[in-house]
This record gives sequence, C-alpha cells and structure tokens, in this order.
Amino acid sequence: MKKLTFKVAIAALAITGLASCSKDSGGGVEPAKTSKYVMITMSENVLTKPGYATSFDAIPSGNISNINTTSLQGMGMGGWRPFGNSILKMFNSTGNELGIERLTVNSSNKVVVDKFLKAQDNATNGSGNFVVANATTGFYWDGSAPLKLQKFDPTSLSRTGEIDLTTAVNARGTTEAGILYRSVGQKFLAVKGGKLYANITYAKTNGTQKGFWDDFYADVYIAVIDIATGNYEKTITIEDTGSIAYINDNNMYSFDTNGDLYIVTQGRSALGGKSKIVRIKAAETDIDKTWDLKMDDIFAGGKFVNVYASNGKIITVIPSAVLTGGATGNINFSEIWEYYTIDIATKVRTKINGVPKVTNPGAAFGTIKVDDKLLLRVNAPSANLNGYYQLNADFTTASSLFNVTEGGSVSGFYKITL
Amino acid sequence: MNSLKLYHFLLKSTLLIVLCMGLTSNLNAQSNLLVKGKVLDQQGLPVSGITVGLAKLANKTTSNAQGDYSLKISTYGKYTIEIKSVGYQKINKEVNVTASENTFDFILVETVNTLQNVTIVGKTETDKVKEQAIKTTVIELKEAYNKPATVTELMNRTAGVRIRQTGGLGSTADVSLNGFQGKSIKYFKDGIPLDYLGEGFGLSALPANMLQRVEIYKGVLPVSLGADALGGAVNLISRRPSKKYLEAGYELASFNTHRFNLNTYYTDTTNKWFAGVDAFFNHSDNDYKALVKATDPDTRNQYDANVPLFHNAFTGYFAQFYAGLKNRTWVDELRLELNTFNNRREQQHPALMTDPYGAALGKQSGFVPALSYKKTLFNNKFSINQFLTYNNLNINRIDTLKGQYDWFGNFTPNPLRIGESRQPSNSVIDSKNFTSRTNLAYNITDNHSLEFNNVYVSASRDGNDPLGPRFSGTDIDVLSIQSSYKKLVSALGLSSYFMDRKLNHVIMGKFFNYSASGVEAYEARPVFSDEVKTISGNSWGIADALKYEINNQSFVRFSAEYANRLPDQNELFGDAIFIVPNFDLKPERSLNLNLGYRYNKSSAYSYEINTFYRRTKNLILLVPIQQPYAHFENQENVKGYGLEVDGSAYLLKNLTLNANATYQNLRLFDVSVTNGGSEKNDARLRNTPYLFANAGLNYSINKFKLYSYYSFVREYYLETIPKRLEPKGFLGLGGKADINSLLVIPDQHLVSVGGNYAMFLNKFSLGLEAKNILNNNLYDNYRVQKAGRSFHIKLNYIIQ
Repeated sequence: MKKLTFKVAIAALAITGLASCSKDSGGGVEPAKTSKYVMITMSENVLTKPGYATSFDAIPSGNISNINTTSLQGMGMGGWRPFGNSILKMFNSTGNELGIERLTVNSSNKVVVDKFLKAQDNATNGSGNFVVANATTGFYWDGSAPLKLQKFDPTSLSRTGEIDLTTAVNARGTTEAGILYRSVGQKFLAVKGGKLYANITYAKTNGTQKGFWDDFYADVYIAVIDIATGNYEKTITIEDTGSIAYINDNNMYSFDTNGDLYIVTQGRSALGGKSKIVRIKAAETDIDKTWDLKMDDIFAGGKFVNVYASNGKIITVIPSAVLTGGATGNINFSEIWEYYTIDIATKVRTKINGVPKVTNPGAAFGTIKVDDKLLLRVNAPSANLNGYYQLNADFTTASSLFNVTEGGSVSGFYKITL
Repeated sequence: MNSLKLYHFLLKSTLLIVLCMGLTSNLNAQSNLLVKGKVLDQQGLPVSGITVGLAKLANKTTSNAQGDYSLKISTYGKYTIEIKSVGYQKINKEVNVTASENTFDFILVETVNTLQNVTIVGKTETDKVKEQAIKTTVIELKEAYNKPATVTELMNRTAGVRIRQTGGLGSTADVSLNGFQGKSIKYFKDGIPLDYLGEGFGLSALPANMLQRVEIYKGVLPVSLGADALGGAVNLISRRPSKKYLEAGYELASFNTHRFNLNTYYTDTTNKWFAGVDAFFNHSDNDYKALVKATDPDTRNQYDANVPLFHNAFTGYFAQFYAGLKNRTWVDELRLELNTFNNRREQQHPALMTDPYGAALGKQSGFVPALSYKKTLFNNKFSINQFLTYNNLNINRIDTLKGQYDWFGNFTPNPLRIGESRQPSNSVIDSKNFTSRTNLAYNITDNHSLEFNNVYVSASRDGNDPLGPRFSGTDIDVLSIQSSYKKLVSALGLSSYFMDRKLNHVIMGKFFNYSASGVEAYEARPVFSDEVKTISGNSWGIADALKYEINNQSFVRFSAEYANRLPDQNELFGDAIFIVPNFDLKPERSLNLNLGYRYNKSSAYSYEINTFYRRTKNLILLVPIQQPYAHFENQENVKGYGLEVDGSAYLLKNLTLNANATYQNLRLFDVSVTNGGSEKNDARLRNTPYLFANAGLNYSINKFKLYSYYSFVREYYLETIPKRLEPKGFLGLGGKADINSLLVIPDQHLVSVGGNYAMFLNKFSLGLEAKNILNNNLYDNYRVQKAGRSFHIKLNYIIQ
C-alpha cells in the first residue's frame, strides 16, 4: 500500500511537472532554485534536548525569533552535521533516539523530518556517530556491534552492511585485564582520500559511560580502512593524550582548505590535561608527528572542544579559566571561552576581537561556513547574546550577524537549496 | 539538627504524657462514671456530629469523628439513651449501666422523605468532609465496590484531577492537582504520610474495596496532614467498620488481568477487641496493543507497527493483618498492623516508548509493622492520636540481559552487551523508614478547637549493585554509601465557628525542618570517608480558610496558603551516579488561593464552582551541567488561575447525570530570556493538561445499575510553545497550534460503559464493564500509550 501510494505520488509529481513544463513556453528550463536557511535551537538544557528547527528565506539579521509557523518542534535539537543539501542529526526529533535523522524543508517552507535510521543500540553513547563519504556511502557506529562499523546509503538513509574490525581492535590489549570495553568508531569517524579513519577505544569501564573519559592507554589509536575495498589497512597513533573527539554532532575535526585534516583530542579527563589538536596531512594517512597544538602550552587546565580550519588558520575557543566540573563547575555554562585564530604554521594565536567570552559551544559547531561567510556561534547569556557573529576577512575581528531571542540557545544554522 | 533533637525530646515527652493521661483517665473513671459507645451508620461506619443524650437529664454530647460518645452519670442503673439527628430515625433505648457493661453502640437508620421526587437524607461523613472550610474533593468508594473500577479511574473523573500513569495496571501513577504534580503532591493513608508503605499501597494497583473514600486537597492541607506539600495532597481513607464482615472480590479482565481483594473484620459482642485482614492481589500481562515505531533489522529504518506489548506484566500483593483493643478505660483504640507486600513489574520500555525491553524488571517488597493509639479524654474535649512505624523496604532493579529484543518479541543475543537500558543493574537497596505522627486536638469550647500535628520521618538508604558504577579510581560501589534524611513537620491550627456556626474559620501555621547527610560524590569523582556532609534547613508556612453557610443549601469558602516543599534527599545529594549534589537548593514556595461556591438542592441537583490562583517560585528541575552529569536546580516560576465546575442532577427518578470541567491557565513567568528563551514567558506549563472534562450517566432500577462515563482531555504539549501559536478560540478549543510539533499529545476521548447486579439479599454482586469502547489511542505521561478497548467482569461477595 505504501509502495502504491508512493508510485501514485511520483506519477502525480511527474504529471504536475509535465503540466508546469507545458505552461512554460520555454520548455526544459529548470525551475529557479530557492535557498532556505535552517536554524536549530535548543529550548531547554535537559537531556532530551527539546527545541525548534525553523526555515528562513535569507540569513537573518538583528534580533530574531526561531519559532514561527514553519518551525518543527521536537527533541534531539542539540546540533547537526551538514551533508550536501541536507541536515543530518545524530538524535531523532520524536524521542531523542540515537541514529541518523534527516531534516528537510517542504514546499510550504516547513521544516519536516524526512527519514530516520535508528541505531540498534539506543543506550550506548556513540551509537549513531557517523560520517558520509559520498552520496551513496557512509559509515556509522552502533553499540550493538562495537567491533564493527556499519555502512549506510546517505541518499536512501538506509543501512547497507558492515565492516568487521575485530582483528584490528584485538591487535593489542587482549591480555590486559584492565581493559573492560573495546570499540571502533565510537567517537571519531572521518573520511579523507578514500580512507576511513575510526578511533579504537580501549576503556577501563564497562558501565553507562563506557568509552568516555576512561582511556586505558595514554595513546589514542585510529584504524585506517580503505573505503573502496572495505579492507583494514593499519592503525595509526596520536601519542600521549586521550579522549579523541566526542559523540556530539560537533565532530571535533576539520579539513583545511588544502585538505589537511585537524583532529581534536580532549585529553585525560573531562576537564582536559594533554588535550591537543593534531593533523593528518592531505596526502598522508598517518598523524603528522612534526606538528601538534598542545592546550597545556596555551592554557594549563584547559582543553580543546572544537576546531575549524581554513586557509592555514585554525579557529577555536580557548578557556580563560581553569576548567571545573561538578554542580558549580564552569566548563559548560560559564562564559569563559574565547575565540581565537591560530596560525597553523607559526602557532601564533590571535584573539578575535569584537566577540565576548562565550559558553562552551558543546554539541554545536563553534564555527561554520554559510554563503562563504564564516560564522561564530556566540552564546553569552550575561550579555544577552545568543546567535552568530560574522568573522571578518582578517580573521581577527567579528561583528554580530543576528541574535536569537526566542527558541533557545542556538545549536545550528545551515543553507538548503530546494 | 537542633530541631530534630528537640523533636526526640518532644516525642519521648509526648509518649510519657500519653501514658500519664491513660493512667489519669483510669483514675478518673473510678470517680466519674461514664456511659459510652459508638454511633454508626448502616454500613458500620462512624457518624460524627450526632446528638446523644440521657432522657430527662441535661446530659448531652455529640459523637466525634470516630463516632465515639461518652456521657457522665452519677450512679449505675437504668437510663434511656436518646439519639437525634436530621436525616436519621430517632433512637430511644433503655440500657442498664453497670461497672462491667457501660459501652453501648448504636446503628442509625437513615430517614428517607420523598417529596416530589426529592429525597432528603442526613449528611454522610463524606458530605461533612466535602463541606469543611478547607476545600476538599471527596470520592466516596462504596458505590465502586461492586464495579471493576480502579481508584485511579475514579480519581480521573474528578474535577481538577488528572492521574498520569506510565502504562497499564500497576504502573507508576502521578497525580496532577491544579497543575501541581510530582513531588508537589503528597500522599497519605489515614493521615499518615504514605512513604512508609513504599509501592505496596500505590494508587495504580489499589482496589476500591480497600478504601472508604479518597480525600483530595487542592491547595491548603488540614492541620492533620503533616507534609511539605506545595500544591495538594491525596488522603486515602481506609475502611474502618465497627461490625464484623467478610468481603471477597475477584475481577477478570482483558490482558490476562486478575484482581482479588479480601477484606474482613471481626469483633465480638463485647466490642472490646477486634482483628481483621485487608488484602489484595493483582496480576496483569498488560499486553495491550500499542502503536510503536518498529525498526527494520537490515535497513534500520522505522515504520509504524501496532504490536502487543510483551514485557509489561505486573504482579503484586498487599496484605494488612491487624488486631487491637478498644473501648478500654486507658485507650479508645490500640491497633497493631502488620503490612506485607511484594510487587514485580516488568519494564517494557524507557520513559518514552522508544525501545522495547524484554527482560528488565523491578521488584519491591516490604514488611511493615505499625502501631497506633487513640484516646479521647476530658469528656471528649481532648483527643490524642499517635502512630509509629519502623520498616525496611527491599528494592531490586534487574537489567542484566545480554542481547536485545525487538518490538515483536524477537531476541538477538549479544554477549558484548549487558543490560537493555543505559544503566545495567542487579541492585539491591535497603530503604529504612521510621515515621512518628502525633495528633492532638482540644475542643476549647463548642465553637473553638485547637489541633496540633507533628510528623517526624527518618529515612536511610544503602545497597549494592555488582553491575553498578564505582567511584572513580576505587572499587567502592556508589550504592554502598549510606545516606539519610530526616524531616519534621509541625502544624498548629485553630478552628472557630461564629454567627451561629454559619461561619467557620481555620487558621494554621506550619514549621518544617530537614536534615540530610551523605557523601558529596558522584561517579567520576573519588570518594573519601571524610566527605560525609550534613546539611539542614528550616522554613515556615501559613494557611487560612473561611467558610460561610449562606443557607441550608449553599455555602461559599475561601482559603489561602503560603506553602513550601523542601528539597528532598535525592535532589540534594543526587544519586551518586549521574545526578550530582547541589546543596544550594532552596525550598519551592507557592502562594495558593482558592474560592468556591457550592449549591445543593437536596437530591434534585447540586453544583460547585471553584477557582484557584497560584504563584509558585523556585520549582526544582533536573538540568544537565556537564555531560553526562546533571543536578537539580531552582529553575521555574509558574503562576495562573483555574476554574472547575462540577455538578450532578437527577434527570429522571432513577437517572442521574454528573459532569465536571476543568480549565487551568498556568503559565511560566520571570523566565530568564538571556538564552533565547523569551517565548517561555507566559507560555503554558509544559506536559500539563489545561482543559479536561468528564461526564457520567447512572441509571438504577431495583438491583440493576447501569452507567457510562466519558472523559475528554484537550491536546497539550510535552514542551512549551509560545502563547501566540497556541490553538485559538474559546479556552483554546479552536483547531491546532500553529506549529508542526512532534511533542503534542492529541485530544483524547474515553468512553466506558458498565453495569452491575446485586443478588441474594445484596450479598453477591456481578459487575461488567467495557472500557475505552471506542478503542481510541489514549496517552499518558510522556506519550506512553494506554490500553485500548478492554472488558472486565467483577464478582463481589459480602457477609455481615
């Protein structure tokens, strides 16, 4: 019945298309494409991440609301990962379930849920962590099979198979009694030059937070897989750090304009320590041992939480106070994070002027590019700021682009072409 | 802390005073001869306010809330006792009072005067509770004994009340009163905070036959209910018969549901002692069909599926064995209870119906002894009521499955995975509870009475879980660290009547004190023994209630309260896993105002209109602080008003209609707008129904009774939406909200019909009911689906 309905819909669309073509005397002229800008906000800082996704005709300016009649209200609005002409989320909008959800804008300009691929294990953090290689190939991790990577088709948003990496994971530590949990791709998945990079987790715990802040080894291991053949090739190492990336929609890595891949490791604990940014050069498949950016050299007691690379520069946030956790900790909701531009070659860092100190960008990307504009997420409740600033061409100054007053804290902004 | 020490002293002093009073009373008995007894109705229930006197003598008194009366006499001998009250047949009985026989109970027979189809009867205890100055909604359950109805269903048909359950029979129930819910509402059994019985006496599994009535307080609580309730309370009143009886009931229903209840009470002709059992057993597979999102095992895409729930069963029993002495010179009633219960609840899914579980379950059991002492002194002018219990509840949570189920009940083993939920567990928790409640009442004059109530609760908890988290860097089980919580709630109230008892005024003050101790720790933080922390706090509350009887048929009443709810142990100390401590929590505070009018044209029709206003600050919510940790914070402020209309009428001689509707306009205020949240100001309180209504038709002819009920709940939202996008029209009844929300709980319509037939001199009854006959999709807390159409049959047998 569903198939029949679908076929009827396709036929109707085709007829409609033909009819509209016949009206266009020019025949064969493609209809003008329209762009929509979709913004996501999180209305409550609670675990289910409720919020709104709203479409706009243009990049907004001034004080704006993210709630109008085009809005989608749902859960799991903590962030997004762009892919081509879609917005993909690691949490679905109906129940904050783990997986991959695609949002689109329909003909009425309303943001709607298009499809959801659900991870089989909806309880282990990292389920649904994904990367897209091309229109038909993507990979994600599912806690139900922690030593495998799942393959999916990003266009149909359906699982298509799996890659077993048990051998790669068990290449070390099989006799270590202190390793209670192993996985591959739980926190870090990246595609570069036809290769898939997936972190290997050796964890000291096997509880609810297995795989997070519980590294057994001081080094971080990354499996390298050839995408074309699906074959495991080797394991590379980021030495003396811990906690590579995380499992938010903010994937904590970025490709520079020249194709170099910059990767964040958060360090020994949730509060940092030996956190750094490393890279794999464009033509390489191993960590560049000659370059890294250590947070401890910049600010003791801090850590990196995001990275954006462009034209030989890194844009990131650096804490201005020693990170603290617990009930009164400053790590997430205190305005202690400052935007900096760091020259990759010289490591000289320049504070971006015109931007106040912000809260931890968290699940959202700190820096994004829309219409060739570099936007900085600015959430500074004490200054009543909650929106995006535009980074100027000099990479050292920025000014407010728009401020969101309704809908909650901003967690994503992206352009879709209909 | 000092307050708690003081309380220990007061408790000991009170017990000493009680003992002395008993002795004093004994001495008095030798110099002041008494004739005494109980005044009961035909169901064996006590009747208060009945005039009892000795013919030709000036000696008169009125029966108290327990139906007790006592009259002084100068010598033993023959007397004629006269009992008179509106609505009951007059009694004149000659008695021979001797030293060994001085207790005489009387059973009142209602007078029924028919005048143009209008029936006039005397006021029942329920009527009296309903008509007190403090606004009370009373659900009389006697009529429900023969029906296959649950207590929660009966409560849901009441104005201003919504019960939200997370599934079928036995699932957790949360009462929402005037928009207050969760911890803002407190539960009592016969005036005692219900916590001491754990889940054994939980609302959702409780048969109506266990209770005489349910009293629901919205706003002001009477002095006798000692708790830090912010917005209301539910007081479950047990059956307290005075004559022997045995009742047994059995209900068979859809979804393999079996429910038994057994209630018996025995006392001999001397009425000096009593014993009895109140027990029930419940089982339901709860395997009703639910519309879920099933997942294709290969593509992992989702599709709608209407599947029977397969791991949703509940099995549980509760039994209360009791015995006691009564009508002694040193005690009116001394009662020893032994309560025991055991519940086993399967968990089909997490809070939202996202994932199917096939093995996770929870168990709770307990053995709970309790002792109560009641005595009236000084010619019924002074009464004391003391309750004590100490118990240990055993709580297990089991989630050890190595594998996963799908919504069709298919199991896929997975040795790499332990547990179906986020927190694998095989935990055993011992929860200990000591509760002491002291109630003292003194009738200063006929029109003025003073009441003091004191509740002291001391609770502690520890346990173990081989699969549970350990403190970072240690092998210390976080559950092994004992935490404790002590709370003292004292209240003093004065009730006065003026203007020929037309005006009743009640004023009361309440004092709250708590102290909690535990380890300031959570999973990722190492624990040290010297980190045990004790914190304490005090607060005050005040309440006032006025009722004015305009005439015999109508009255108006007003009440106001400044209420507090103290942060509890879990909110202060967290769960030592992902909820981290927050010692900066302030009590939730609320100003509650109620104004109501009731008109009762005897049995022709009656109606009641009530309005309320509340202004609540510092509501405590769980908020994340750093992934994955969260803590409780004072977050929200809510204010608004509500309107309830409730009425009933005789449409025909044997046909009655009752209906009610509730509208509550509760909105957030003073919400921080610095984080893009300006839409929340003036937005409706989330996940709270704002418009709901009920209607019922009852038809009775001889021993047949037929009834039907309809319930409507207007759509509401799990999260806030801006006011400007809300559904338009009168009371928001016009259409849908102007937003595509996935978090909407749609309009719900429930229709149920049933009937029952009594036979063999009303000893045996047969009840039939079809619930949700339209088989509509109904939702409850967090969009969890409720059962579709179901059929129920109930047999009830009573011997008296």
